[in-house]
Amino acid sequence: MSPLLSPDDDALAGEYVLGVLPLADRIRAERRITADPAFAAAVAGWENRLSPLNADYPDVPAPDLLPVIEARLFPTPPPARRRWFAPLAGALTAAALALAVLALLPVPPAPAPALIASLASAGQTLTFAARVDPDAGTLTLTRTGGDGPGAGQDYQLWVIGTEGVPAPLGLIRQAQDTRPAPGLAAGQVLAVSLEPLGGSPTGLPTGPVLVTGVITEG
Amino acid sequence: MSGDPVADLLLRVATGDRAAFRDIYAATSAKLFGVTLRILGTRVEAEDALQEVYTRVWLHARRFDPEKGAGMTWLIAIARNHAIDRIRARTDASRADDDALDTVADDRPGVLERLVAAGDARRIADCFARLEPDRSAAVQSAYLRGLSYQALADRHGVPLNTMRTWLRRSLLKLKECMEQ
Repeated sequence: MSPLLSPDDDALAGEYVLGVLPLADRIRAERRITADPAFAAAVAGWENRLSPLNADYPDVPAPDLLPVIEARLFPTPPPARRRWFAPLAGALTAAALALAVLALLPVPPAPAPALIASLASAGQTLTFAARVDPDAGTLTLTRTGGDGPGAGQDYQLWVIGTEGVPAPLGLIRQAQDTRPAPGLAAGQVLAVSLEPLGGSPTGLPTGPVLVTGVITEG
Repeated sequence: MSGDPVADLLLRVATGDRAAFRDIYAATSAKLFGVTLRILGTRVEAEDALQEVYTRVWLHARRFDPEKGAGMTWLIAIARNHAIDRIRARTDASRADDDALDTVADDRPGVLERLVAAGDARRIADCFARLEPDRSAAVQSAYLRGLSYQALADRHGVPLNTMRTWLRRSLLKLKECMEQ
């Protein structure tokens, strides 16, 4: 056990792993796992300690859900980078003159791969799909499950950088919209929090973080 | 290679290796389906949960640290946590589902006997054996079936706070026993 964690918090980690807590306490514990390394270590300790019980879960052949899962994770066909080069190759063989023309053409940079994120959380019907266009510096966010916020509340989008500090990316008031979001990169985490109408007054999330997702190359 | 093939696959998934993702589904989906089915009770919901579980495996594989535990333990934790969150969301809204769960055959006895038979898990079995039988049973059915404090209190006919005290003390006893 970590010396930084009180016995009470260690027991809480055990209760979380055991699974007996009400949903609200579980969500709080899940947030703490991501924010508090000592608590996360205590949870991992309990997972290991109780893992011999896992032997009691039977193997039950599962249907092949991979196509559905992959369609969800990798929604785009492979990037079509070659298209730009193919006609060019034709032009090169067609006329030597093209070489001279080509020399004058600005070489377009290879398109950056699209980035995607699937925002979800345990116990939440609310889900979002995010698609980042790094070239345009925009993010398209689509609510793929759940309802809009209640009266007097707003959903607010955040990006959590590698340094762990959330930066606001604006309110979410439509089922789908595209917003400027320059500089997003794979590995960063997107999060949606529930805030008072108009968004967090502090510049940091004040309400519960409802869903999160890691940005990955699509 | 680490001697933990699931951990090796997870480390590859963490780099965005889609072939490793397919391999890990093939290698582990039966066990994780066993987990979601046991906790959620119906194939429809267990399959739905399994999709979400593997989506998270892909998205969160970078958090897996082979120094901290076995690959399968990490996967089962994701499956259990998601299934328990689901059932908790359901039962917080409607307690009736707790009662429905009770019609599922009880799995209390078998697990400890099997654990005693498996040498490497003998210690936890010995430690469970030192608990009072009803508390040992409560801890196990909480873990294996995802029963809530409320459901456990109802089953054992004790107030919720009593059940909470039982389980917290039982957890601490288990921990002390296993650290000996």
